[in-house]
Amino acid sequence: MKQTCILQDTETPEKTRDLLAAAVGMYGRDGFESHVVLVNASPETFTGRFHHVIRVAEGLVADNDPRAITEILETLHQTYGFDSILIPGTTLGKMIAPRLAWRLRTGLASGVTDITVRDGRIEITRPARSGTILETILPEGPGPVMMTIRTHAFEHPPEETVPTRISTCSLPVTTRSTLTRLGVDQPLESRDIRDYEVLVAGGGGAARCFPALKPLADALNGAVAASRKLVDQGIAQRHIQVGQSGKTVSPKMYLALGIHGSMQHLAGLRGVTSIIAVNTSPHAPICRLSDMVVQGDACEFIEKLMDKLMPNPHKNT
Amino acid sequence: MPMKLICTVKFVPDPDSFTAGRNRLILNPDDACALGFALAVKSGDPGVTIEVVTLGPLSVRPHMEDLLRLAVDRGTLIWDSGLEGSDAFVTSRVLSRYIADRPCDCVLTGSHSLDGGSAQVPVQIAESLGLDQMLGVIRIDPDRFDPTRAVFQAVDETGVTTWKMAMPGVLSLTRESGYKLPYPALTDLRRDVSEDVNILTSRDLGFSADQVGRAGSLSRVAGSYPVTYGEKDPVVVGTDDDGITRVVDFLKKKGVCR
Repeated sequence: MKQTCILQDTETPEKTRDLLAAAVGMYGRDGFESHVVLVNASPETFTGRFHHVIRVAEGLVADNDPRAITEILETLHQTYGFDSILIPGTTLGKMIAPRLAWRLRTGLASGVTDITVRDGRIEITRPARSGTILETILPEGPGPVMMTIRTHAFEHPPEETVPTRISTCSLPVTTRSTLTRLGVDQPLESRDIRDYEVLVAGGGGAARCFPALKPLADALNGAVAASRKLVDQGIAQRHIQVGQSGKTVSPKMYLALGIHGSMQHLAGLRGVTSIIAVNTSPHAPICRLSDMVVQGDACEFIEKLMDKLMPNPHKNT
Repeated sequence: MPMKLICTVKFVPDPDSFTAGRNRLILNPDDACALGFALAVKSGDPGVTIEVVTLGPLSVRPHMEDLLRLAVDRGTLIWDSGLEGSDAFVTSRVLSRYIADRPCDCVLTGSHSLDGGSAQVPVQIAESLGLDQMLGVIRIDPDRFDPTRAVFQAVDETGVTTWKMAMPGVLSLTRESGYKLPYPALTDLRRDVSEDVNILTSRDLGFSADQVGRAGSLSRVAGSYPVTYGEKDPVVVGTDDDGITRVVDFLKKKGVCR
């Protein structure tokens, strides 16, 4: 029986169980025992999902200290001899996984989106080159298979519960970071763009009217997203960026307003049911993937669509 | 005490020329921001020293020379044929061994590289050197950036947060920071710096052949293939009243609006 360690997603604890799908990809549904390491979550959410819940003792480490969490994981590996260690591809996860891989002298596959087994060998797939290619990575060496999992790339379906044992890790931690949080300057909205069924996304063609996307998104019960171009220009915030260097989204409806559709951007669209592209050029790459193309100016489109959706009786009076 | 800064950089294929046979190389955008910040610090305090280090083929030498024309004090290029095929682990190992012998107050890096995007190297450099590190840095307070500590803003899934971290440490910037490389002075444009790039091999750093390149790597890229997407045959409409009506009808049909 393979032993898989999964680090809790400290930002969205309920998404942690999706990492089980990556373990299933490696070992099959019944081929592994799952150990989840909880840094700042209570065990209840994980009971019945994982075979072993390891709760890090309260106060032992700060939930934003990558060095201390790395040490905890290293020590647990020495105890349990994990065959694989799966870490959420969050910012914190990206600061922990390479440290742990370095300590364990094992390779690390980052931003993994798929896993298969061919001829008994684990093949790990990850996007590279701004999402234009997919790389197949083969783990080598005696160390555990280590990877960070791209958020939203795997989805673990609800299934029968498994017997869970709960233990507490209170091992001494000798390495801590000097990082001190002085303040949160721009807290984000509580709902993530990945949680919406409708996304109204703006690109370069919607730069001059980007604030107008919000009322449209509200009218459609959706959220606003953006391409990297608008983030790089400082018009949109990074947490709503879709693409290889942003988030992977799977809404039912994706309105791509003034988005060209670079490979980098398309890498962030996974299993989108319907796309409406609004672009001055019907030959933009995004148009080929769309159900409907509106040829024209994105800002003009927004204004006219809003008039249609929410007619204002006082307009022009 | 003027700070000593080391910037690790990578030259990556220009994403706009990926389809060409030989890709044009550019300075990785996140790394350019890190160097841009370092040069801004130096412009306010000429005593600050900046060293740029890269691991890459000798073909990047002209790019390193361009950086030396931007008030960078020292440029080091680490390369030999044995390094070909090195993974992130080997890259981190080589760079950190070099940096370990060059005491500095802060290592500035990009957060992600355009070609790999794994963000492994800066974190592993920090781990190797026993330093703290932060990804996603978008602003460093110049008034609170000295050999003892740095105060900076970083972005993650929760928002923008202000942090304090002891120096020496590793700060990894993103393009959102907006720090830009300055243009070289006209006199520097003509300056011959061809002999100023410090070129080292893995052997100079004490590595054996089995510790670098494919032999020393802990993971192997078995293959790669272009991403393809399922293409559709879209309905094309305009922004006239008929077009907007058809969009609304489509949205209604999909249950997005009533």
